[in-house]
Amino acid sequence: MSGSLINHVFLQILTGLQLGAIYVLIALGLTLIFGTLGVVNFAHGALFMLGAYFAVIIAGKFGFLTAIIAVPFLLFIIGIIMERGLIRFFYNRPHTDQILVTFGLAIVVQETLKWIFGANNIPFPLPRWGGGILKLHEWLPFLEGFVAYPKWRMILIFVSLVTVAALFALLQFTRFGLIVRAGMRDSEMLRFLGINITRRFAIVFGLGAMIAGIAGAFGGPVTQVDPEVGMAFLVPSFLVVVIGGMGSLPGAVLAGFMLGMAISFSAQYSAIQQIIIYLVAVIVLLVRPRGLLGQKGVMEE
Amino acid sequence: MSERKTGKSGGWSRRGILKAGATAGAVSALSIGTPTFFIKDAWAQKAIGNFPVKGKSVVFGFNVPQTGAYADEGADELRAYKLAVKHLNEGGGMLETLKPSSLKGNGLLGKKVEYVVGDTQTNPDAARTSARRMIERDKVIMFGGGSSSAVAIAQQYLAQELGVIFMCGLTHSNDTTGKDKRRYGFRHFFNAYMSGKALAPVLAKEYGKDRRAFHLTADYTWGHTQYESIKQFTEKEGWTTVGNIMTPLKATDFSQFLTAVLNSDADVLVLNHYGKNMINSLTQAVEFGMRDMQKNGKQFEIVVPLYSRLMAQGAGPANIDGVLGTTNWNWTLQDAGSQAFVKSFEAEYGFPPSQAAQTCYVQTLLYANACERAGTFYPPEVIKALEDFEFEGTGPGKTLYRGGDHQCFKDILVVRGKGPDKKKGKYDLLEIVDQVKREDVIYPVNTFPGELGPYEPA
Amino acid sequence: MPVIVFAVIALTMPFWFPLVGGYAGLDTKILIWAIFAIGFDILLGFTGYLSFGHAAFFGVSAYVTGLMLLHYSANIIPAMIASVIVTTIIAVMVGFLTLRRSGIYFSILTLAFGEMFYAAALSIFSDWTGGDNGLTGLPTPELFSMPFKENNVFYLVAVLAIIGYYIARRIGNSPFGMMLRAVKSNQTRLEFTGLDVKKYKLSAFVISAIYASVAGSLMVIYEPYVATEFVHWSTSGKLVIMSVLGGVGTLFGPMIGAAFMLYFENVISAFLQEQWLLVLGLVFMFIVIFLPGGFVEGAQRLKRAIAGKAGDGNASKGASE
Repeated sequence: MSGSLINHVFLQILTGLQLGAIYVLIALGLTLIFGTLGVVNFAHGALFMLGAYFAVIIAGKFGFLTAIIAVPFLLFIIGIIMERGLIRFFYNRPHTDQILVTFGLAIVVQETLKWIFGANNIPFPLPRWGGGILKLHEWLPFLEGFVAYPKWRMILIFVSLVTVAALFALLQFTRFGLIVRAGMRDSEMLRFLGINITRRFAIVFGLGAMIAGIAGAFGGPVTQVDPEVGMAFLVPSFLVVVIGGMGSLPGAVLAGFMLGMAISFSAQYSAIQQIIIYLVAVIVLLVRPRGLLGQKGVMEE
Repeated sequence: MSERKTGKSGGWSRRGILKAGATAGAVSALSIGTPTFFIKDAWAQKAIGNFPVKGKSVVFGFNVPQTGAYADEGADELRAYKLAVKHLNEGGGMLETLKPSSLKGNGLLGKKVEYVVGDTQTNPDAARTSARRMIERDKVIMFGGGSSSAVAIAQQYLAQELGVIFMCGLTHSNDTTGKDKRRYGFRHFFNAYMSGKALAPVLAKEYGKDRRAFHLTADYTWGHTQYESIKQFTEKEGWTTVGNIMTPLKATDFSQFLTAVLNSDADVLVLNHYGKNMINSLTQAVEFGMRDMQKNGKQFEIVVPLYSRLMAQGAGPANIDGVLGTTNWNWTLQDAGSQAFVKSFEAEYGFPPSQAAQTCYVQTLLYANACERAGTFYPPEVIKALEDFEFEGTGPGKTLYRGGDHQCFKDILVVRGKGPDKKKGKYDLLEIVDQVKREDVIYPVNTFPGELGPYEPA
Repeated sequence: MPVIVFAVIALTMPFWFPLVGGYAGLDTKILIWAIFAIGFDILLGFTGYLSFGHAAFFGVSAYVTGLMLLHYSANIIPAMIASVIVTTIIAVMVGFLTLRRSGIYFSILTLAFGEMFYAAALSIFSDWTGGDNGLTGLPTPELFSMPFKENNVFYLVAVLAIIGYYIARRIGNSPFGMMLRAVKSNQTRLEFTGLDVKKYKLSAFVISAIYASVAGSLMVIYEPYVATEFVHWSTSGKLVIMSVLGGVGTLFGPMIGAAFMLYFENVISAFLQEQWLLVLGLVFMFIVIFLPGGFVEGAQRLKRAIAGKAGDGNASKGASE
């Protein structure tokens, strides 16, 4: 055997983090929107996918750096338009209608992208500074021999962690964050206090979309950019949200990376590998029906 | 309602045959021996599938993957089909090189050839739905296409059920003409067994006999049989198989599997992937630094047993540089048949055809030729005209359509990817290392289990 | 009365369906989906619980039928019975776990459970299900050695659809049906009455799963092949779309939705090419936003608008409810 156990475990962990990074980014937006607005957005995968398509196009024309600045901004705008133009009319309708309308929107976005760009994936070349491998053994003394990892995937992990930190900071240290957090606890109370939450609702929705855009721009080269990718990532992301506890941001982060690890460490057992995330979900929900960090009173009877 | 009747002449009157169909083995063996007795006297002109063909035209159904992992292949197959229909109606292409041929280039049995197109979505269920629609709505007399063995096999069974001949497109699983062979299904493409037999000696010569291989395998019939065949023939050469992971067909990110490969003591990675799967897994393997790695004191190598020029193009010359594999056909072949096809394809579309295009084109011509030779569209007669038909002028050397399993046998190619500095032109991506003779890849018909089933559908 | 109307429409389908561009085989498929949709309406339409996991019941049942035909007997009776039994057991377990949550949470949980069955069919059970290959090589189904193809299958499906519709209407008009509708309108109030609401919800869930099971089983009898797609969430999605298009809670609506959807997919798609799904998505969104009652509500509104002329076409279908 070449390399030590430490090398093996280290590589598996990196892969787990990298797989989890995209789930975390998508699930963060989902759970944020759910927690504040009580909306389950079936079109969230479509937003992620839009992010990836925008990133490919912009990166091709104006370079990758422009793309990573423009795409989250664009998605923020799209999120606000979506909330103001569609979602807000559904706050007073049955919850299932919200699911239905966002589900319909997801289909429309998917089919529109298919129409414009074709059903095949479009190549998403890495920027020159993001290609190649990082020779990790040169940096980390506990690794033996030759241990390398693709640079882009390391960047993806980094971006995901930074995004998580930024979002938590925003919610923790700003007045906006305070109100949003209060809204996640009890939105009716805020209304009694006369705080205009509708405007903030739109911003929260935009924020969720923006994070999906970040996932699309950085995750696109890894997940491939095709019209099906939105739905393909939506279902596992829902699982992340449920496992983490609906409406819990730390829960989403924890569950996202946990699922990434589960997939990474089960890779060699192919029969288990495809079902592992569901096994984890069922076990967690049996032991903790509210999810890992879920709060009492969310969607319960 | 009349369609339902003319379509399949109800189950009732033919219950005797249906019962016979249930004991398929015995009957089919019998009917191979005495075909004319059944057909000419008792059953000629019976309605089977969409026979008899009414009107001035006859319709072919081309069911190709327009979406999914094999969509590039599908697009090229469709180009070839359109060209084949054009040549059948107007002459040209391989009509001039195929021997023996009864094709005249004025349609088929006095009827104009038309076609309808479907999308298999690289998905057996969608393929069957689409094929059924073609058969029931569009009344196709024959259908073909596809780039996945699961899809091909699902359609072969449908073909047998409904009595409409299916001319397989690109399908490489041993099962297609092995355990899942069907009387109404025909395959011109080679299979994984032949790939293994041809490729393993070359691998041993190039990389040595004491190699340790790790396989990543697409988790469906084709991947399974290719893994088995490559394992069998490389181990015969002295290689060790240290691991295999079945990867979902829908996977696009292979990082967790590649991590497992890195963590093993393998010094060769065998990718039993095709189409987009292969493009992604190969690209990502290179991204993980596998082309620049030393393992067990040897250069780490990547092998792609089933290669195509389209995939090579998708993965890019830098990634395929030096990677070995096999292919059914390549546009650089110099025989008259290949050149006639390449020339007319290039004239039509401006670039050379892929192996998927070639196999679909040839299949359409072979079906049409069989109809002309049989003098009818009556499926059992057409099937017999195809069975044990030996021909040339569609590629290098002679080809045999073996009657026992509906598999074609012909020379196949071992190829190597050309790097950016070696290729001449955009489409010059594969270098032919070896043209393995038909005699060296043929195998006895009983190598794989399975029965073809009856000439008349149950 | 509506049952008789439906019976006439269904049984004469082979005669009029080709006239409107349909073809043999599609009518059978439409009625299979209609059965699936009627059952789904007992859950969604009556109780308001939106499941995204009914493909699991449809698919599991299809697999059981396929395996029974393959390994036990080509006779459809034992195959169908076994399918319904297995599906019922699974539905009780899944229902017990998912019905602990309401609303959106329930939708996501059912989606997750459904996908678990899909993943399992592809991986740990692939030796049985054939994985991505699908379950092929099934014998021609028969009923006491009478082969079941084309016409026979159509009439079997039609009769079961009529029975299914009749039972569903009986359920809808029974005290049990009233209870289910009460779950939708005000669950909390219902709980205060001391009734075991959970039991009612679970019953509705299981009944809808049995309908799904019959549909899944018939799908294999209609076409002796099982694909993993049957268990995939897109099958559930299709079911949701057709129910909403037709009009949930009306029983008749989802059947119209099923017919519309399959007609759209197989006939209209020839004119719209690849964009048919986009058009369908837009139609779906339009219905959800502006016409939550689906085609049935549309027909009723139309009827009210032209009050004098009510009595033919879609309006009568709507009126029958």
